[in-house]
Amino acid sequence: MHVRVDATRCQGHTLCAMIAPESFELDDVDGHAHPIHDEVPEEHQAAVREAVQSCPEQAITVMIEHLTRARAAHGAPTEDER
Amino acid sequence: MTTASDNSETTPRYHFDRHTPEYRENFLEITHDMHAKCPIAWTDTYEGHWVAAGGQEVFDLARCPHVSNDHDVHNQRRGYKGISIPKMIDSEGFRGGMLEMDDPEHRFYRSALNPYLSPAAVRRWEPFVDEIVRACIDDHIETGQIDFVDDLANVVPAVLTLAMLGVPLEKWTLYNEPAHASVYTAPNSPDSGRIRDLYMNMVVDLFTNLAEIRETPRPGIINALAELRIDGEPPADIELIGMLNLLIGGGFDTTTALTAHALEWLSEHPSDRIRLSAGRDTLLNPATEEFLRYFTPAPGDARTVSDAVNIGETRLQEGERLWLSWAMANRDPNLFDEPDSVILDRKANRHFSFGLGVHRCIGSNVARTVFKSMLTAVLDRMPDYRCDAAGAVHYDTIGVIQGMRHLPATFTPGERLGPGVDETVLRLQKICEEQELARPITERKDSAQIG
Repeated sequence: MHVRVDATRCQGHTLCAMIAPESFELDDVDGHAHPIHDEVPEEHQAAVREAVQSCPEQAITVMIEHLTRARAAHGAPTEDER
Repeated sequence: MTTASDNSETTPRYHFDRHTPEYRENFLEITHDMHAKCPIAWTDTYEGHWVAAGGQEVFDLARCPHVSNDHDVHNQRRGYKGISIPKMIDSEGFRGGMLEMDDPEHRFYRSALNPYLSPAAVRRWEPFVDEIVRACIDDHIETGQIDFVDDLANVVPAVLTLAMLGVPLEKWTLYNEPAHASVYTAPNSPDSGRIRDLYMNMVVDLFTNLAEIRETPRPGIINALAELRIDGEPPADIELIGMLNLLIGGGFDTTTALTAHALEWLSEHPSDRIRLSAGRDTLLNPATEEFLRYFTPAPGDARTVSDAVNIGETRLQEGERLWLSWAMANRDPNLFDEPDSVILDRKANRHFSFGLGVHRCIGSNVARTVFKSMLTAVLDRMPDYRCDAAGAVHYDTIGVIQGMRHLPATFTPGERLGPGVDETVLRLQKICEEQELARPITERKDSAQIG
């Protein structure tokens, strides 16, 4: 699972880091969130999904790897889970 | 071009007056009614304005580039009226800080304040907050009686906010009463003259601090504002005072309101209180967000439509006023299961209580930190407290802040751990100065050492 925080949408609500502290870190100066790892380890995926559903700005997207690969193989754009 | 009155037949209309006691009393009914019939509607009250009550509508409008926060006091741009409906009497002459500005101006202020209020910056203050909380409780722990508003939830946000600003802490009482009373005192109240005088004393003290800090800089948010330049120019003093008023208005009354309501609810739900206290490692964070959602201390903000925009079938025109109801959006069943219940471990709680978009409450990290410190200290030291329902005083109206004036409680007396508020404030002032706690995170990384 890949995770991405849209910097233009994130406003530093900090809920993602509260829910999934292993997967999101907050900027010291403005509190905006960044993913810690590109690839979310299996054991943290449930928390990341919950963070996606809890972001007030809907700024977090995850991409499921096999979907990404399958779609790329068919020349289709990847689909984000929002 | 059409106007709202031209569309009166197609426009959803709903009589809405959030400043009446009836709105507070019938909040649930009105909220359910609007969600069912008209998640966005036009009301004729206060010269007419839109009311957004639905989660999707509030989400879209709060983040919409065609919606403005500008309060154009001197009518130099388009005469927009900022974030209050109706315009507050006190705000006739000046803007309410960056919350009544659009970008890019708003961004200059925000960037200057972020390093004082980010999660990392606020974390440094946790020992300071815990210490003033301890002192508040120690003043009452031996008596078995406390007023959670007067003796705890008013004190802690006030002392911490002044510390962050760089105002001497012993002045907290000078700021405390006007910060709360200016919200709950109706303009026609016999007390309004006295409150206005107290408010003016506070504003004069802010000016005095600003002048002192310009002369002899000392760390804190006032210093950041004194050094702020917008396109190379310092903003007028009145803009800086407006910004400080916003931080005081935002920092004092809202956190008090959240804490009082949560403590009152936990008094009425003792089994939830026990569960929260025992399971706080995992429950404190979601429970805090749930109390924020359910009680929504700051129930909404006004905006002005700056360019015609469609929300669903409804067309909003340039210049029309708009009320974004965070409180009603927080009860939208399309977003929240059982929206009218408090569920301490609620998941997917994308609540609206700090606003949305670029104006997200900059003090949200302060509010959470202060709330959690007060709540856990009460759970630890007064675990059997019971609020006295007859003595609890809620604000008559919830148009501006959903707050409380008093919340007396009794509990089994316990042992004092240290000095009370007066002595502790003096000691904390010394610590603030010695450790320069009010520096921004960019200059000071370490936590306060209280010892």
